[in-house]
Amino acid sequence: MPRNSSDSTNVGSRSNDPTVLILTSLASEPRHGYALLQDIADFAGVRLGPGTLYGAISRLEARGLIEATGAAGRRRPYRITPAGTEMLRAAIAELRTIVDAGTARLGAMPASGAALAGGAA
Amino acid sequence: MSAARTSARLLRAYPPSWRQRYGEELECLIVEASAGGRVPWRTRLDVLVAGTRERIRSAGLEPDGSPADRVRGSALLILCAWALFVLGGMIVGKSSEHWQDAVPSHSGALASVAYGVLLAAALCGSALVLGGVAAAVPSFVRLLRGGGWRHVRRPLGRAALAAALLVAATAALALWGGSLDAHQRNGGDAAYAIAFVAWALGVAATIATLTAAAVAIANRVQLPHRVLRLQAWLGAGTAVAMATVGAATVVWWLAVADAAPWFLSGSTAAAGGSTLSPQLLVAVAVMAVSTLLGAKAARRALGELPSLPAA
Repeated sequence: MPRNSSDSTNVGSRSNDPTVLILTSLASEPRHGYALLQDIADFAGVRLGPGTLYGAISRLEARGLIEATGAAGRRRPYRITPAGTEMLRAAIAELRTIVDAGTARLGAMPASGAALAGGAA
Repeated sequence: MSAARTSARLLRAYPPSWRQRYGEELECLIVEASAGGRVPWRTRLDVLVAGTRERIRSAGLEPDGSPADRVRGSALLILCAWALFVLGGMIVGKSSEHWQDAVPSHSGALASVAYGVLLAAALCGSALVLGGVAAAVPSFVRLLRGGGWRHVRRPLGRAALAAALLVAATAALALWGGSLDAHQRNGGDAAYAIAFVAWALGVAATIATLTAAAVAIANRVQLPHRVLRLQAWLGAGTAVAMATVGAATVVWWLAVADAAPWFLSGSTAAAGGSTLSPQLLVAVAVMAVSTLLGAKAARRALGELPSLPAA
């Protein structure tokens, strides 16, 4: 089930941060607002609201991390800039650090601890 | 209402400059996301919250710029939160008039202590806010000397006009009230009651105008980093004062509800009635919202301090 997500000012390292989600979506190809919403729901299971999406788009564009590619009717596609690509790489590296640490710690957890955790749940 | 009309209305939540750049796209997206039907309430709330945030940003209260900009924006947000808090405090002030006469002296100790804490914390908060404003005065004077008058004369003029009108209205209301007895002043005279409500709305409008002027001016002045540090700490103190006033208000309310419930229901001692006074409920809600806003801004301001250059 898709999760809700709040807006954020900075490109953070949380996997449901709207700015990270938008940059990730635009990393493959330029997209307009509606296509972004659908793509993000597909790959992350996060259903952003239109206001949250455009709040993040306006700040990403102001920071030069994405840019408009010209209007197609009332829709305007956006694409990621080289600065945005660098920012996304940095955010993913941060996320990877957390994923690696979590994976290693789960792997190191004794079987009894895992059983207890499973029993508690 | 059609999705197109609803989305056009929702866009009014955004500042004009933002609307000019992104309005058409967002409107189109809201309609598409609603699949031609009614706009879901979740979407409406999302757009309204996002629009309010953009307005806050466009007023310089939540800037994305340098650490100094962010501290200044946070300090201004605390000022706005305080202005909102004062409105809640005014309602408490009016609702608590003559409460000491209603509560028996042998059962009013807790209410007295709570009310004393409330007043002391309110005074502390006011002093901290005034301290923050005073710390910015030298920078404001530098702005005026540097030819900045033309940038600030409009908000300052509006604030001065609003303050002058309020003083005149207060004097007129006091003169009128002096010619009435206590019963007439407390709802017995319909015309006076209407005038009082209009005066209270005028007070709220004046506070909003003064706050808007302070924000407009603060966005023009260059504050030294030491002043920004001071304002961050004063803002944190103000947030603590707001939380204290709010908590003391709730304790006072509970104590009076226990000792003299009829006072809160606005009835006579013999009659019953609910102690859930609507005015106090509104006041506490306003206080809670403004305290949360102030606390969030204070946390952000203090969090930015290590990023401020030392000199």
